[in-house]
Amino acid sequence: MDIGRKIASRLKDATFERIAATALANADANRPRIRASILELAGRAFGEGDAAIVIAAGPSLHRRQSLERLKQSGFRGTVVAVDGALGACLRAGVVPHVVVTADPHAERIVRWFGDPTLTAPSTDDYFRRQEMDPQHARDEVGANRHLVELVNRHGPQLTVAIATSASPAVVNRCESAGMALYWWNPMFDDYDRPDSVSRRIHRANGLPCLNGGGNVGTAAWVVTHALLEKRRIGLLGMDFSYPPGTPLTGTQYYPELRELLGERFAEGYISLSNPFLGETWFTDPAYYWFRDVFLEMAQDAECETVNCTEGGILHGERVPMVALDEFLAKVARP
Amino acid sequence: MKEYLKGNYTLEVTIKEPTVEIDQTEAFEKKALSRLGGSICFVSKKGFLWKGDGADGHRTEDRQPA
Repeated sequence: MDIGRKIASRLKDATFERIAATALANADANRPRIRASILELAGRAFGEGDAAIVIAAGPSLHRRQSLERLKQSGFRGTVVAVDGALGACLRAGVVPHVVVTADPHAERIVRWFGDPTLTAPSTDDYFRRQEMDPQHARDEVGANRHLVELVNRHGPQLTVAIATSASPAVVNRCESAGMALYWWNPMFDDYDRPDSVSRRIHRANGLPCLNGGGNVGTAAWVVTHALLEKRRIGLLGMDFSYPPGTPLTGTQYYPELRELLGERFAEGYISLSNPFLGETWFTDPAYYWFRDVFLEMAQDAECETVNCTEGGILHGERVPMVALDEFLAKVARP
Repeated sequence: MKEYLKGNYTLEVTIKEPTVEIDQTEAFEKKALSRLGGSICFVSKKGFLWKGDGADGHRTEDRQPA
């Protein structure tokens, strides 16, 4: 097994080590601000019928102009988006019914909602380097300013499924923009264990624990079928990988792989074929783990999930790749 | 090893102290694991949504309406 896959196979435990302390501290800080449980969203009519689109923030969202096509289609079902895709959605005229946010990072995640305090390019080059929203790479401050305006305008229309692990900065931003917040706990570990962190946090705030699958995109899919009970789900922007030709410097974990693997950093990447496009995409250990987890979770999901990303590496028996237009035409039929 | 070799004789061979071979790949992986990973955990075989088992109660009495 190559080093990338070896690392991926051990990221389940590593993720707990990476985020648990910050996530629990955020949950503690957020507790006085909790007003509503995500369970209150169950049964709410978001859109029509049992079809939904889950929008993640992968590069295909822009390459395939997925949001523009979704908008033009007049899709009337439920639209659930991750925080990182909110800006692209609003710019395309797609106002999600539900936005999902979970990452506990203290500074980065608030930027997906527009950070009113940002007046100069950040010393953190994450937003100039990341592949998820190219607007930020072209003009970091200008893109942020535009996003602040868009989110302020649409905030009162937005429902946010927010994890208790979210940074208080994100909570402040969402509240100040007038969004309605519905809270959930990330599932940290096996709640049947007597020393379970999941059980402890549930006892503290009474909120349900959601199995997030490693990343907010998968968490958004879980919200869509397990809570909103949508039964036909199309995924957009769920690449979990990078298109051919993407410079390694433009990948999520490049600095970490470079620093930690030195000259061998390229060995940390994994190549996989995309049968839909006939291309070979590449991914890093974390995204590869997300893919494996998603395919495992899809085995137990009581819904039909098709990947309309038209790119990436997420495909399997329970998650076929289907053209977006084909999915939209199918769910438009009564 | 030297502390055990204090006889009144002279060895004809040179005794080398054992060196610890560090598995560089293993070291890389351990370091990488501390920096890589997701933004939310995944728990195998525990379903999608756990609402508690009823014995936990609901700590909602101090919430204000949305």
